[in-house]
Amino acid sequence: MNKSVWWAVARSEEVNSDKPINVNIGDDPIVLWRDHQGTARALEDRCPHRRAPLSLGCVLGNGMIQCGYHGWTYDGETGHLKDIPNLKSDAKFPKLYRAQAYQVVESGGFVRLCADTKATPIDAPSQSLPLSGSVDVALSHDQYLAALFDDPSLVISIRGVLFTPYLMSELAEVDGQLVLERSCKWAGPHWPSPFTSDFPITLRISTDPVTGESELLLRDDAFKPLLRARVAPVPAARGVTQVRWRAKLESQRSGLRAKLMGLGQPFSVLSSVDGAALRVLRPSASIHAAALRETMTNTQPAEAGVA
Amino acid sequence: MLDVNDTAQADDYVDPVTSDPRTFAAKVNSWVPHDIVLKDAWFPLAHSIAVTKKPVRRAVYSQPFFLWREGEKAVAAEFHPAEDVKTAKSEYSDAAGRYPVIEKYGYVWGWFGNPANASPEHIPSLPYLPEDGGLPKHMLGTVRFDCTAPLSLENLIDLTHADFLHADVVGDEKMDKETVEVFHDSETITMVRTCKNKSVAPIMKMFGGVKDDVQQVRQVIRIYLRSHAAIAYGRFDPGDNVQLFHPCVPETRDRTRLDYAMNTSNVKKTNPFRYMMPKASYKVSRQDSSMTSPQSPRYMQPEKRKDLHSPLDEAGQKYRVLMMALAERQAKGDFAYRDNVSADCSEIIGYQKP
Repeated sequence: MNKSVWWAVARSEEVNSDKPINVNIGDDPIVLWRDHQGTARALEDRCPHRRAPLSLGCVLGNGMIQCGYHGWTYDGETGHLKDIPNLKSDAKFPKLYRAQAYQVVESGGFVRLCADTKATPIDAPSQSLPLSGSVDVALSHDQYLAALFDDPSLVISIRGVLFTPYLMSELAEVDGQLVLERSCKWAGPHWPSPFTSDFPITLRISTDPVTGESELLLRDDAFKPLLRARVAPVPAARGVTQVRWRAKLESQRSGLRAKLMGLGQPFSVLSSVDGAALRVLRPSASIHAAALRETMTNTQPAEAGVA
Repeated sequence: MLDVNDTAQADDYVDPVTSDPRTFAAKVNSWVPHDIVLKDAWFPLAHSIAVTKKPVRRAVYSQPFFLWREGEKAVAAEFHPAEDVKTAKSEYSDAAGRYPVIEKYGYVWGWFGNPANASPEHIPSLPYLPEDGGLPKHMLGTVRFDCTAPLSLENLIDLTHADFLHADVVGDEKMDKETVEVFHDSETITMVRTCKNKSVAPIMKMFGGVKDDVQQVRQVIRIYLRSHAAIAYGRFDPGDNVQLFHPCVPETRDRTRLDYAMNTSNVKKTNPFRYMMPKASYKVSRQDSSMTSPQSPRYMQPEKRKDLHSPLDEAGQKYRVLMMALAERQAKGDFAYRDNVSADCSEIIGYQKP
């Protein structure tokens, strides 16, 4: 796992001062919490003392995290050990006594981490989309992205929208992102897609080649945005992909079908994948994606990772 | 070389098909159709009736084409008129983002390539489509293939597949004799298949009033390589001639759009075949797609294992080599048309004018 990559490991509302949470980047466990000033903090979820998960501990009033096993207490910004309560001492600890710290940046409703504490902070989108959710999907990160590229219906759902197999533009590099645009149609009785001349809506997917963090834009045939979403898949333990997402339904939508999107949940990320459909899904865009991702990641600056 | 008005340059061009057989075979097996992007060609992007004041969207190799009418005139542009943020303009359109456009044979044709090279003489000859269009709507349709366009065309030019995949529509493989001839130039390939006493196409029995059990068949597939457009012309005795225009527009490298026109105006108005035959495309295209769709990902990247071929694959093999030769020429900066695609090809396809 590239240490200099920024991963969107949590939504802002998931991180609080009441209870630390555990997330993964690959096989690396990470504990996340919010300190007394409201700043999100992240350390390796492993107490250097006896390897207990720090996420089983608690957040103290001073914003530090305390291990639930023997009370070792760490500063979230640096990871330095600050207290061993049973020592009853004000002695300072050697610098070696520390948990691995992560750089944290919070913007646009996502908490992003980077294992390289010297990496350049990223310039992530600042607009926070009001709808959000988190799911853990039993599919590897690469396969998750391949499914998103080849058939989005396996991993996401947009109310009243059906994805067709037809692209208006195939996967290509655009300004450092992997971009494709898929023709879509409204749900309901209709002429079969293979015999349809024109589709009323398209879904543009713009994906970071390293993290797979994707910006989704649903537009009608007059190019008016209907829905925006940001989906952040992160590789987790045992081949699971943790996905955080945020979305916003545009308030100005023309046409009855577009207006009906406002009833119920307009966007969601599916928590499970239909294995039978996935097995027979023919690779298309994903075949080029693998080569494009490799080329792009080899030519991008080290701190890259998020649009 | 076919007997057409040849515009070939007097240079060192070597026919890729007549070169060394081993080289030829090696080329046939290096076929990666997804990698082929041919430029300087007219593509039939939409039926004329589909283009109105409201822009419709099409694509050629992902390059956006928005089509609409200004007054009566069809225009094509790189950007939707309502598009908020215009990305950088490509080299394929003029300063205003407009593409060269021609309306002919009932289609709006857009030029993909260097706008300076767009010329009406590069529009393919389609002898049985009225130049001014006007075919009734029931003779037109749109179908899509989940595959790369060259695979669709390779499928078309090998008509032996029809005896198996489309047997319930056009008849099976039972016949007394079959001959296949193939002709080509640098811009086209033409396959002529003659079948003696072939089992009658079920659709002709059901709707065409053909009572016999066998018929004499002469089928021609002529592909205009750059435009990815094909003529499929069939003469049936007894039976009515079938006059299909089969353009395979590569909207992306892995998806194909087919806005077809099947001119059945040669069939009596009282004969249901006139109305049913154009609709057969809906069935036939799904049958084709059932094979070409799974094929397509297997032709996306170079493959070590060679395809096996039979003598009946001559047209398909030559199609591969000609397409690759065009791509190689273009890669070297040679976009010239060496043969005239707009010269009337009636004689070549054996078209029986009404």
